[in-house]
Amino acid sequence: MKSSTKSSSNTAELLDRYLHAVRFWLPKAQQQDIIAELSEDLRSQIEEKETGLGRSLNETEIEAMLKLRGRPFMVANRYLPQESLIGPALFPIYRFVMKVVALCYLVPWVLVWIGMMSLNSSYRAQHISAGWLGAIASAWGALWSTAFIALATVTLVFAVLERVQAKSHFLDQWNPRKLPPVRNPNHISRAGSLIEVVVNLVFAGWWIKLMSSSVILDRPEIRIVLTPVWRYFFWGFLLLAFVNAAHAVVNFARPYWTVPRASVRLITDATASGLFCWMFQFKVNGLAEVTIPKIAPAQMAQMQVAANAINLAMARAFPFVLLVGVVILLVDAYRIYRVKNATPAPLKGEISAAVV
Amino acid sequence: MTNGTQGGPEILENLKLELRRGCLIVAVLAQLRTEQYGYTLRKALADDGLAIDEGTLYPLLRRLETQGLLVSQWREEDKRNKRFYRLSPAGEQILNQLLQEWKNINASLDRILEPAGRP
Repeated sequence: MKSSTKSSSNTAELLDRYLHAVRFWLPKAQQQDIIAELSEDLRSQIEEKETGLGRSLNETEIEAMLKLRGRPFMVANRYLPQESLIGPALFPIYRFVMKVVALCYLVPWVLVWIGMMSLNSSYRAQHISAGWLGAIASAWGALWSTAFIALATVTLVFAVLERVQAKSHFLDQWNPRKLPPVRNPNHISRAGSLIEVVVNLVFAGWWIKLMSSSVILDRPEIRIVLTPVWRYFFWGFLLLAFVNAAHAVVNFARPYWTVPRASVRLITDATASGLFCWMFQFKVNGLAEVTIPKIAPAQMAQMQVAANAINLAMARAFPFVLLVGVVILLVDAYRIYRVKNATPAPLKGEISAAVV
Repeated sequence: MTNGTQGGPEILENLKLELRRGCLIVAVLAQLRTEQYGYTLRKALADDGLAIDEGTLYPLLRRLETQGLLVSQWREEDKRNKRFYRLSPAGEQILNQLLQEWKNINASLDRILEPAGRP
């Protein structure tokens, strides 16, 4: 008898604990009402089972019954209005923006850091005092805080947009006429090709006029002469300008990328990037020699300071030059991949004709 | 092909849930043409082949009441307080319209599924 009373009080306690836990997650105004109804439903179910079995349910059976109902917060959740930080309407745009942020902000961040650490000795000296592991840990920490701020900002903006959208329904106001035109990514703009021809030819003219002679300045008080190594840069950049101009002429005539032309673009860009990187490896006095016959020691010191400043600026700029080169080459390589895997694009009006 | 067979049962369950969702509202409204409390309503629906778990039923009843389609009242029965629901006049109107819509959908489906009905 005693054991039966104890079991009954235990099952009642289990029920009370369950209802109390559900109550915690409910809005205050509805707590009493919902709990009263839920409690009634549970008691009706228990009563029915007990009638069927001809005995009281034990603690394990009650436990199984409650488990089947679900976790308290999930039960309570069904009574709450469905809310989300970013709803299904905005979520695809949110995901897209997140990807863009990751690609255009975090990836360059990592690449610049790698470039600075590998190529910029003063930057490396500043950050490597605790060893390479320490430098990586510190960069990792900085990357996470940068990533957190960037992604949290995007999330916050979208959460606000979600609230504004719920009130103003701004997404419903749109015009099909304002949709971007269908474009073939392998199409080359003729205007772009024309500009490319002009720019390359103007550059070639300017380059020949100013840089063909190794003597840049020849006055009695100062003489600036380019070192022999400059000839490689002169001929290299000149050749590239003519190849690029010829390439642009062909693109103008046939304004769709093909694998050979995309490959030529990759080769010319790789050569230009290589030349730039090579040029940045030279100190100022490695590219040009300055002769000043009558120079005071103070002026000489000033000249040296200026040369050092230019060298330092070039050393600091090198990782960015390298990064730009890498990005350009990646774009070029992707273009080849895209052209190789291109499916024939529908011609203008083909989709609408198929629909009709 | 493999994907189709692997995800088959889960896809079917989800589609069945979607199909049932709208039908359950009509069934609940129709059952509440006569007054009932939650537990007996759930049993009645299950007995007629439309089992619905309490986690879905009670929030649905509240929503329908907030929309003015149901009215409810706490009353004592068998020495226990129970909340009785019944269809409101507005709910009755909506139910009739829903039933008409249901018939239209059914007729359309019959036409689509009946091969002889096709041109």
